[in-house]
Amino acid sequence: MVISEDTRAAIDSECAKYPQKRGGLLPAMHLVQKQLGHIAPETAVELAEIFDIRPVEVMEVLTFYNMFFSAPRGRHNVYVCTNLPCALRGSRTLLAQIESHLGIAAGETTEDGRISLGHEECLGACAYAPMLRVDETYHENLDLEKANQILDGLE
Amino acid sequence: MPTITVDGVQYEVEEGRTILQALDDLGLLMNGVDVPHYCWHPKLSIDGSCRLCQVEVEGMPKLQIACDTRVSDGMVIHTTTDRVKSAREGVMELLLVNHPLDCPICDQAGECKLQDYAYEYGALQARTVEPRRALKKKVDLGPTIVFDQERCILCRRCTRFCSEIPATGELGIFARGDHSVIETFPGMELDNPYSMNVADICPVGALTTKDFRFKIRVWFLEDVPGICTGCSNGCNIFLGVANNKVQRYVPRRNDSVNDTWICDAGRMSYQEIDSPSRVKASLVRGEDGVLEARPYAAAVEAAAARLRRLVESKGPGVIAGVASAHLTNEDLAVLKRFLEALPTESAGLPVPRGEADALLVKEEKAANAAGARALGFEDAAPLVERIRGGGVDGIVMLGHDLLDPAYLGGIEALQKLDTVIWIDTHQSDLRHVAHVVLPGRHAAEKRGTLTNHAGRVQHLQPAVEPTFEAHAEGETLERIGRALGLTGFGGDPAAGSPTASSRK
Amino acid sequence: MGLKVPYVTSYLTEHCAEDDYVSLAGYEAKGGYRAAKKALGMAPQEVINLVKESGLQGRGGAGFSTGMKWSFMPQDSDRPKYLVCNADESEPGSFKDRLLLERTPHKMLEGILIAAWATGAEKTFIYVRGEYAFPADVVQRAIDEAYEKGILGPRCMGKSFAHDVVLMRGAGAYICGEETGLLESLEGKKGQPRKKPPFPAQYGAFGMPSTVNNVETFCHVPHIVDQGADWFRGFGTEKSPGTTLFGVSGHVVRPGLYELPLGTPLDEIIFEHAGGIPGGRKVKGVIPGGMSMPVLPAGQLDVPMANEYLRERQSMLGTGGIMVMDETTCMVRASCIITYFFRDESCGQCTQCREGTGWLNKIVNRLERGAGSEKDIDILVDVAGKMEGQTICAFADAAAWPVQGMIRHFRGDFEEHVRQQKCPFSGSFEL
Ligand SMILES: Cc1cc2nc3c(=O)[nH]c(=O)nc-3n(C[C@H](O)[C@H](O)[C@H](O)COP(=O)(O)O)c2cc1C
Ligand code: SF4
Ligand code: SF4
Ligand code: SF4
Ligand code: FES
Ligand code: FES
Repeated sequence: MVISEDTRAAIDSECAKYPQKRGGLLPAMHLVQKQLGHIAPETAVELAEIFDIRPVEVMEVLTFYNMFFSAPRGRHNVYVCTNLPCALRGSRTLLAQIESHLGIAAGETTEDGRISLGHEECLGACAYAPMLRVDETYHENLDLEKANQILDGLE
Repeated sequence: MPTITVDGVQYEVEEGRTILQALDDLGLLMNGVDVPHYCWHPKLSIDGSCRLCQVEVEGMPKLQIACDTRVSDGMVIHTTTDRVKSAREGVMELLLVNHPLDCPICDQAGECKLQDYAYEYGALQARTVEPRRALKKKVDLGPTIVFDQERCILCRRCTRFCSEIPATGELGIFARGDHSVIETFPGMELDNPYSMNVADICPVGALTTKDFRFKIRVWFLEDVPGICTGCSNGCNIFLGVANNKVQRYVPRRNDSVNDTWICDAGRMSYQEIDSPSRVKASLVRGEDGVLEARPYAAAVEAAAARLRRLVESKGPGVIAGVASAHLTNEDLAVLKRFLEALPTESAGLPVPRGEADALLVKEEKAANAAGARALGFEDAAPLVERIRGGGVDGIVMLGHDLLDPAYLGGIEALQKLDTVIWIDTHQSDLRHVAHVVLPGRHAAEKRGTLTNHAGRVQHLQPAVEPTFEAHAEGETLERIGRALGLTGFGGDPAAGSPTASSRK
Repeated sequence: MGLKVPYVTSYLTEHCAEDDYVSLAGYEAKGGYRAAKKALGMAPQEVINLVKESGLQGRGGAGFSTGMKWSFMPQDSDRPKYLVCNADESEPGSFKDRLLLERTPHKMLEGILIAAWATGAEKTFIYVRGEYAFPADVVQRAIDEAYEKGILGPRCMGKSFAHDVVLMRGAGAYICGEETGLLESLEGKKGQPRKKPPFPAQYGAFGMPSTVNNVETFCHVPHIVDQGADWFRGFGTEKSPGTTLFGVSGHVVRPGLYELPLGTPLDEIIFEHAGGIPGGRKVKGVIPGGMSMPVLPAGQLDVPMANEYLRERQSMLGTGGIMVMDETTCMVRASCIITYFFRDESCGQCTQCREGTGWLNKIVNRLERGAGSEKDIDILVDVAGKMEGQTICAFADAAAWPVQGMIRHFRGDFEEHVRQQKCPFSGSFEL
């Protein structure tokens, strides 16, 4: 079992909120990912058992949503929004600069496993562009200097 | 019953049906009224995703998908207007944008709905110079099926099939948008007793059976309607024939027997027709105890001679007839007449048994057990007792099911018999004890009827001709009967008899 | 770390600069839950009628009458009924719901409670887009507080009326904003929109009768109940009453959120409230209602921001997300981003949408690189036309319209790329 007892208990209490247990699947996947960083096939099998569904159904859900990962990631997930309002305010230039600062391209992870970099669609911060999402936190109204400061501060 | 008008013609249709279902019920779908469709399949849940089946319904501003629009009384439907045509063209072109168009090397060519519909309803090529989606070309999905992701048009028939019919649900769609791909869970296989049906329902050449892949171009095949003989369900099939050889079985739709499916074991049972283990020669055991090939007529004579000697020495009652649940009703009727004319009351019907499932597969692993029982043949268990108890000296043995563990379990009990006449399609240990061996015909090689488990009588017609001399079992019995001079066995065995088996 | 205060407020955002407005006490101190108390003293049908009379239209993009939608909920049914609060806000250019979630969570809950009473719903699912972790925390705290104080739970506000609220976080898929995609996601599945009929009022969340409303829609409700339909109709136009939150982004001096009456002219919003275009540059085009809505050229910015006027200009209000592009902007580049977005977010069920979004994106990219032809521009128009109005949900329309709009008004940009075989706009934002 890779899903911890604590996570399992949290999953059960999520499931209880829905008229059908399966309603708890997305919350469960968030919880599992919080514990393990990603949802590997073995984990998907465990989730399938908890929810009485087939592993392939977990896989379908896992691959449908951007926020679930089936492979290990860096310790921090950093995203630059590159949608139009942000792009109009230089977010794509910022992303290119961050790429060269970190020495990786969007979609890659730094060698020390510290940061996985990506670009994302609109995150609801268009008026405060350009912006970064670092794990669960938004950083807004950025320039390269501020962005680098944030990135360099990540463990 | 609601009345609908389709392209100016009125039809009465059943309440609650969708337009496509109603057309299908009327037998008109793609057979008078053309509404091309990909995702809809008569035996799967409605998906409504390919959007090809759009039609114009008067009073509705948008085009409607025929597969998911319920009929209502007075509904007026148009399937050939410019709007409908342009929508179809749109869907067809969009499907071709990412399609590899490798028809010349595609196994589905000839029965590909993308090729056909593109030709009928769209352009043969999309107006695109963009590189097509590059995906996996040869995915081994499991023991039976190979998958070409690039050819897939994501109609989701295969995924619905797996979750709804065998309810094994091995296939899923991973990712989304134009990244969507059909996959199994990592490390798991598409492996269920009905898996090969996905190749039939896949409208394009994305899913192919390992068995038929690259075997022969489908346009060289003649589809002969027939019945699967794998079990007593009697699934309706087409036998795909080329060069006097059955190359494959595919399901033939029969909503009261097998819908549009067959099981994998049944499908693969075509291999029994051209199998090396066929009984190909007439054999007679000589003085030295060795079986020797003899002309068919001579073997028939030899069989008659042995039986005559036995009748004369011990009377006909010591002769037992063993019916076979694989035979046609017509063959079995001759056997019945033969035993009555001898006369002997000693008879039995061994029925091979195995696993059944909730879908099609039945416990009785022969196509005509019900027919045999209807003719009065009873289970062979009492006969087995009689043989073991020494009450039988001669046997006319059709097939070899009596050797099953449920019956004799081997040939020991037969070794001491005076006469064993064995008529069969396939080899067995009986060759060690038979005095005369006569080749029979497979269901694919003869005309006749089979009665399935539910009492449904279904017709066979010859699809291929054996490459060796073999006659339908009834015909052979007819000849032996005539040689014995039995009453009622005077006519021409081949001509008037219903077992006449040669292909036109 | 919440959103910065909007520059213009009205009733909806009046107190949202005040930190304690987020707490139940702070909210109640400003008259919060007064409307709910009032509504729970009315007959449910009366509440529905009131909302109908107010003319409130959904603020999630489609603009459907809220009162009408509530009245579709079966009245005498013993099946459980649910409400769904659509907080998936993922339409590019939209960030208004985030403000309401972060700064006025109790207002939203109050609207939900009133709607629950009116429709007889026993539970509300608030579906918050996965990336809104902070807003989700704020709302969850508000829910917990409301339970503690007996506003939610088995006896809401002391009445024999039970209502539960459950917050679920999405996981990154724009299509889960479409109401039936959302319902699927809520049920733990892929967010693939359902065929309609059946509509959610018959077959909604977990198969039960359901009503889906946007966050902002719920937030208007307490004000309507509190101050009346006539008061509400005092804002906005006759056909589009009330205020809304316009989110202005892109090339403006003061990007932000502006709560203004519907029908406020677009140029007023851009030039007066958002401070106009920086550096004295000229505006080139404006997307008026989130990325799904067709762009308007500089000459059409006098349009009042309400559907009845925007439709005349072949666009729509959508989510009120206004994206301003100045004269340096390459509209082909903008189209690259737009088409990429829809390609990336299509759920992939319908042929036209799955294949069409990808094809549009590939053609636009090629045009941007200077490798396209005149014919490609016509193909874009043709393909977009074939995607429209034929699919399971309105996403394919939303993907087709912006491309049509771009070519309608900025065909010249596309043609110039063909002629020069490269992007002619050296000062445009980078791709
Ligand atoms: C592709 C697509 C995305 C949508 N995204 C959202 C969204 O993020 N938030 C939202 O409230 N409504 C969204 N909608 C509209 C919803 O389907 C639905 O109409 C709305 O939630 C109803 O609430 P309302 O009547 O209060 O506006 C979207 C619709 C479509 C077609
Ligand atoms: S593999 Fe065939 S049946 Fe399955 S989705 Fe693709 S095209 Fe349809
Ligand atoms: S179920 Fe029986 S009859 Fe049908 S295909 Fe299988 S073996 Fe043949
Ligand atoms: S239109 Fe697009 S997003 Fe909507 S259901 Fe169809 S494929 Fe999915
Ligand atoms: S476009 Fe970047 S947050 Fe909206
Ligand atoms: S057959 Fe109707 S949508 Fe596919």
